[in-house]
Amino acid sequence: MSLYQITSLNELPPGARKLVTVAGKAIGVFNVNGQIVAVQNICPHELAPICVGRVDGTTLESQPGQMIWGRDGEILACPWHGWEFDLLTGQCLTDRRRLRQFEVKIVDETIFIAVYS
Amino acid sequence: MNDSAWIVDTDIHPYIDPQRVADFLPQPWRRRVQSGNAGPGHLGYWNPNGVRRNDIFAPDDSPEKGKRVDADAATMVKHHLDRFALSHGILNADLINVGLSPETDFACAFMSGVNEAIVTDWFAVSPRILASIHVTPTDPQHAAAEIRRWAAHPQFVQVLMPSGSRTAYGSRLYHSIYAAAEECGLPVAIHPGTEGLGVSGVPTAAGYPSNYLEWHTGLVGSYLAHLISLISEGVFVKFPKLKFVMIEGGVSWLVPVLWRFDKNWKALRQLSPWLIHPPSHYAYEHILLTTQPIEEPENPQQLQTLLAMMPIEKMLMFSSDYPHWDGDTPDFVGRHIPAAHRQKVLRDTAWALYRLDERTKNIDTNHTAKSIQNPKSKIQNPYVPISNHELE
Repeated sequence: MSLYQITSLNELPPGARKLVTVAGKAIGVFNVNGQIVAVQNICPHELAPICVGRVDGTTLESQPGQMIWGRDGEILACPWHGWEFDLLTGQCLTDRRRLRQFEVKIVDETIFIAVYS
Repeated sequence: MNDSAWIVDTDIHPYIDPQRVADFLPQPWRRRVQSGNAGPGHLGYWNPNGVRRNDIFAPDDSPEKGKRVDADAATMVKHHLDRFALSHGILNADLINVGLSPETDFACAFMSGVNEAIVTDWFAVSPRILASIHVTPTDPQHAAAEIRRWAAHPQFVQVLMPSGSRTAYGSRLYHSIYAAAEECGLPVAIHPGTEGLGVSGVPTAAGYPSNYLEWHTGLVGSYLAHLISLISEGVFVKFPKLKFVMIEGGVSWLVPVLWRFDKNWKALRQLSPWLIHPPSHYAYEHILLTTQPIEEPENPQQLQTLLAMMPIEKMLMFSSDYPHWDGDTPDFVGRHIPAAHRQKVLRDTAWALYRLDERTKNIDTNHTAKSIQNPKSKIQNPYVPISNHELE
């Protein structure tokens, strides 16, 4: 496993993302309301470049007829088919498939991700 | 062209600006569209992801960077046809919805304008771009004339009607359309998405659904009604050479509906005495389906079981539906099709139905690679990753 330097915290404010290629892998690094996460830029459904998709909130589980908006900034939607994924866990909201996540380390305001090459 | 291009994509949606169609309209329709009124739009059901997928722009590392792939013929050839190893693609314009306008004169003129825009802006760019003749089914005489007007053009390969309708398509109201299509050797196709628009009936037999999820899932309802109507009313007895393509209606519903149809026919045959065979016989001889959106059961084996119940080797054709939100790539579809039938589904059935051997001789083939004349018999994985992505 190697650590790869991505950027500094200053350059990746909440809501921002950075697409990188590290050890041959295309990866999206996101600042999700202050938490940095890294996921592989491949949708597990049809292999779309998911990390260019919309990051937004979504409607939370609710009773019929209720619309409750929440989780702003935590949900990544695939640009092809709209499947929603929880950026914090990688889990798809509607399917058992999930995004491949990478470990993130922050050292002195610098963001690194850990990738096996 | 990519030398390995060999797949035929039977459903692509070019973006055609109504203002471009206006250039081909006679007055007063040109003035009308230029003033901002292009007829019935849609019911307004909201797809949170957008109906066109978000990455319709050419990649940053290409000379076409930032250009819409769906709005320009050359960009589409390079970034859709070449990218996915497609030898040909058939254009079906979203503007078919205007064909359901209650203003019939306008609807007819507009559909003619759509066809002219396709000839001018798309066909002229590449012989690999094919298209449907867009017609207005509410005026079958005009539709038939439009079919005969364009039938000799080698890049028009079928007739397209919206699957939203005033009356199911087996009705003899529409038979002059089928007569023209059969005479010209063209299949007739329907495409979903217009259910509830213009003069069509309510979007489902149960009335108005409450959101896009309901509306879109229920679109198969009109397909069911058209299938039953076409067979029951004897369209394929009257027009024995006619083929009917049900684009984007799904695949898995067909067999159980035909079981029900055959069972009812055994008792009720006297209502359709021209049916000398069970209804399923006519379906398997005359109906073709396109793959997208291929059903994705949790247990993929269940889809395999279902596909084995119908002659997919002669009635199923690959479609991407590019660039709509629920589109499929060729390799995704290919993996769902049993290996023995894969080449037929991805290419051969469409090649034969649309007479592409004959057509490729009749169009300037400067652009066509040798692989079209000598199609690869072995399937390759046509998916070309956007960069050096790998699946883990």
